[in-house]
Amino acid sequence: MIRALKLEWLKIRNYRIFWILTGMYLLALLVITSGGTFFLQWLKSEGADFRGIDPTIIPINDFPDIWQNTTYLASYVIFLLAFIVIISVNNDLTYHTLRQNVIDGISKKEYLASKMLMIISMAVVSTLLIFFAGLVNGAIYSHVRGAEYIFDQMEFLAAFFYQIVIYCSLAFLLAMLIKKAGFVIVALFLYTIMFEPIVAAILINAPFFRDGIAPEIAQFFPIKAINNLISVPFGRYIFMEIQDYVSLKSVAIATGWFVVYLGLIYYILKKRDLK
Amino acid sequence: MENILKINKLSKRFGRIQAVDKLELEVSAGQVFGILGPNGSGKTTTLGMILDVVAPDEGDYEWFGNMPHTEARKKIGAILETPSFFPYLTAVQNLRITAHIKQCGENNIEPVLKQAGLYDRRNDKFKTYSLGMKQRLSIAAALLSDPPVLILDEPTNGLDPEGIAEVRALIRNVAKQGKTIIMASHLLDEVQKVCTHFCVLRKGKKLHEGSVSETLGEINKVEVAADDIKILEKVIGEFPGKTDYTVDGASLLVTMKDDFTATDLNDFCFAQGITLKKLFTHRNSLEQEFLKILREND
Repeated sequence: MIRALKLEWLKIRNYRIFWILTGMYLLALLVITSGGTFFLQWLKSEGADFRGIDPTIIPINDFPDIWQNTTYLASYVIFLLAFIVIISVNNDLTYHTLRQNVIDGISKKEYLASKMLMIISMAVVSTLLIFFAGLVNGAIYSHVRGAEYIFDQMEFLAAFFYQIVIYCSLAFLLAMLIKKAGFVIVALFLYTIMFEPIVAAILINAPFFRDGIAPEIAQFFPIKAINNLISVPFGRYIFMEIQDYVSLKSVAIATGWFVVYLGLIYYILKKRDLK
Repeated sequence: MENILKINKLSKRFGRIQAVDKLELEVSAGQVFGILGPNGSGKTTTLGMILDVVAPDEGDYEWFGNMPHTEARKKIGAILETPSFFPYLTAVQNLRITAHIKQCGENNIEPVLKQAGLYDRRNDKFKTYSLGMKQRLSIAAALLSDPPVLILDEPTNGLDPEGIAEVRALIRNVAKQGKTIIMASHLLDEVQKVCTHFCVLRKGKKLHEGSVSETLGEINKVEVAADDIKILEKVIGEFPGKTDYTVDGASLLVTMKDDFTATDLNDFCFAQGITLKKLFTHRNSLEQEFLKILREND
């Protein structure tokens, strides 16, 4: 395990693009976890109000709501981690270093393990950052205190962790299938933020579809499956009912995709000739 | 002798082309084994399969008796075609990855870089290297774990004459340490110069396998001529050390038995009262043998 992870570390630790993307990602997480209050203050200064309510009193940093709020927002920047995965897998293919690694004496399983452990490490670090940022922001702004609130709804941290692992596995698979890194990055990005959401929105909302099974099918789309782990939390501030838990069904669907991604990656590694 | 590699009915097809066809091979410890064949005869595919980067359709292979393949590959230094390293890492950083995979420690990195003449450039990125330097780094990486077996695919391809001489010297040096070397080449001269054993592949099939010295010794020929070719022919007809002879213009081409040399032939003719005016030992080249093997199998 440690060996496989160290292999990956030796490959990326002196790689500038890795550090640039990591820096961008960390910066984005910082903005997301700590920027909410400043954003609300800015809204107030612009004269915005929500049905007569001063935006700055919206309790976005209250325990335990803060966990769903931050993990939901943070899930928008996971694509930066996926880029790291795509570039690192693509490097191994274009520089033939995967082939060289195998010749030198690793198995295809160890290669899979080295990449997955890199993904898991990134997910662990991300989740810990969100956790500590949540503790700090909550300590400063939360109106409620006490362990029963602070450690409630921790499941969203687990869901966030799982989102990273699954989305990065999808990126890994695509990078194995398509050897043009730039193309994979653009395709995955557009699919994630445009193509699938548009199709899903049509299936769910269009009058022609919404009464059939189409909305149900949309729940099985790969990105939807990942997004459904953490529902949009902000409706609660305009007194809408929201799903403030991680549903077992969404975990099951996401796990299904995760198994598919891992299986396909391993199948490709096993079957493809490394030339 | 200890068995290093045993290949058993290995086959691989790429579309309509049968790249390797039920290949059987055995390589023993200490051999410098050349895999000869024209371009596209399946040499690289064979090496790819025994290194687990090409999946065989059929057949299998064993390294070092029956060692698990991943473990076996750690004891093999291999250079297949192009040097493969991370361009954004330095020579030392790249070799650290190799050392990590081979589990051989990093103490050998400096010595092999010195051996490959890259020590002064060790902290420069791989992408700044010339082709020759890249190739030398491959050699350094292959030697890093001090492996008992080396696999080389066209080791002198693309090198300048100096580089070629260096690589050949290196191969002989390594062979002298009792290591086993398996190399693929289409350069017959190269195989003749460095190999102890060889096989010939064509269209994925093995046409011939044997030791280089035996194969070349087999058809030791001596070309002789005298003033009177008729009398010479008669004398040669009585020479006990021949297996056969042919008339070749004004000379006779005598095929010798194993234990006889040109000296024996000269003594015999002199004793029979004939003075040879030409006595020339044909040192057969592998090239002639190779072409003959290909012809025989047409």
